[in-house]
Amino acid sequence: MHEWSLALSVVQTVDRWAREHNAEVKRVVLSVPVVSQLDLSILREAFDMLKMDSRLEKATLDVKVRSPRYRCRACGYVFGHEEVSSQIEALVGKYGEEYPLHLVPELLPAFVKCPRCGSHDIEADLAIQVEEIETI
Amino acid sequence: MRPLLERARDNLRGREVVAVMSGKGGVGKSTVAALLAVGRGNTALVDLDIFGMSTPRLFGVVGRLHEVEKEGIRPFEVGGVKLFSLGGVVGDRYVVLPGANEGGVVEAILAFADLRGVDRVVVDMPPGMGEALLALERVARFKPVLVSTPSAMSVKVVSHLAEYLVERGAKPAALVLNMAYVECGGGRVYPFGRGDDARRLAERLGAALVELPIDPELESYVGRIGEYRGPAYRELLKAGL
Ligand SMILES: [Zn+2]
Repeated sequence: MHEWSLALSVVQTVDRWAREHNAEVKRVVLSVPVVSQLDLSILREAFDMLKMDSRLEKATLDVKVRSPRYRCRACGYVFGHEEVSSQIEALVGKYGEEYPLHLVPELLPAFVKCPRCGSHDIEADLAIQVEEIETI
Repeated sequence: MRPLLERARDNLRGREVVAVMSGKGGVGKSTVAALLAVGRGNTALVDLDIFGMSTPRLFGVVGRLHEVEKEGIRPFEVGGVKLFSLGGVVGDRYVVLPGANEGGVVEAILAFADLRGVDRVVVDMPPGMGEALLALERVARFKPVLVSTPSAMSVKVVSHLAEYLVERGAKPAALVLNMAYVECGGGRVYPFGRGDDARRLAERLGAALVELPIDPELESYVGRIGEYRGPAYRELLKAGL
């Protein structure tokens, strides 16, 4: 269900921007980190419902699911998502659908350890961002 | 463009935001925040003190997780308060988090909290002056309520926080002096000193000084703080906070 509140944030934010710039939006590119495990079909469905009566009425949503590089600030090890995916899966199993990184990806260091040294001091780009807005 | 930052701003717009802050931990900040929220109606308490995790304990919701619906995070309705807590996102577990991530976490909670029907939002901030404070400044104008104990150390640290807030145009509304005295045989005993430093600080700030008694009964309300109407609660109410 979190996909709906996220879609609402995107529609509202972009709609305000479009009104300020007196523009109609054709395409929105949203970038989300893979750890958030968003259901993209629900996200699109929500976007298409919520965009009615806004400057995004004719807009399509492109979602880029990025797999960030993680860096351990303790030992310097740089690693990819595949090296911590088992930790994430365990987390999903424990919490169920509303697992914390679904809602707040930036909590990642609280739950994921460096595969080399075990530190939680992990750096990664986890922000949810509107990367691009194309207008008509 | 960061949709969560924008949404957090939208979500708090038009609502009174009371930020309960302290320079250091262990001064009873979460208790004060809870007492500023209970029994008031149309009030939400947003617990951003991810390191203390006292709020879930005070309200007896330790380990419970928030449900998320289309409109966002559903509050725990407990003791007449709509409670949103990071504890309700992470559950009962320790949290270690790099400072840089704290801002994003604050934004996300404030963006997704379903605040329908809420006029007043009491925010329990983590102690100190770090990323969470900067994040709150990014999303809302707020009324700071500072919490300290009478100890010179605690007052000193809170005075730095106060100076910063004044400089930022967010003048503290009140300095709450927690554990100020004990009612004893019709008189007051001041076990940690008379709080002269705190009084001077409050005067300098033009803020109300609210002295809260040590109430031994309060401990028995841990887990059901929403029912507490004892002297600490009444003093805060009397101060109009
Ligand atoms: Zn490491």
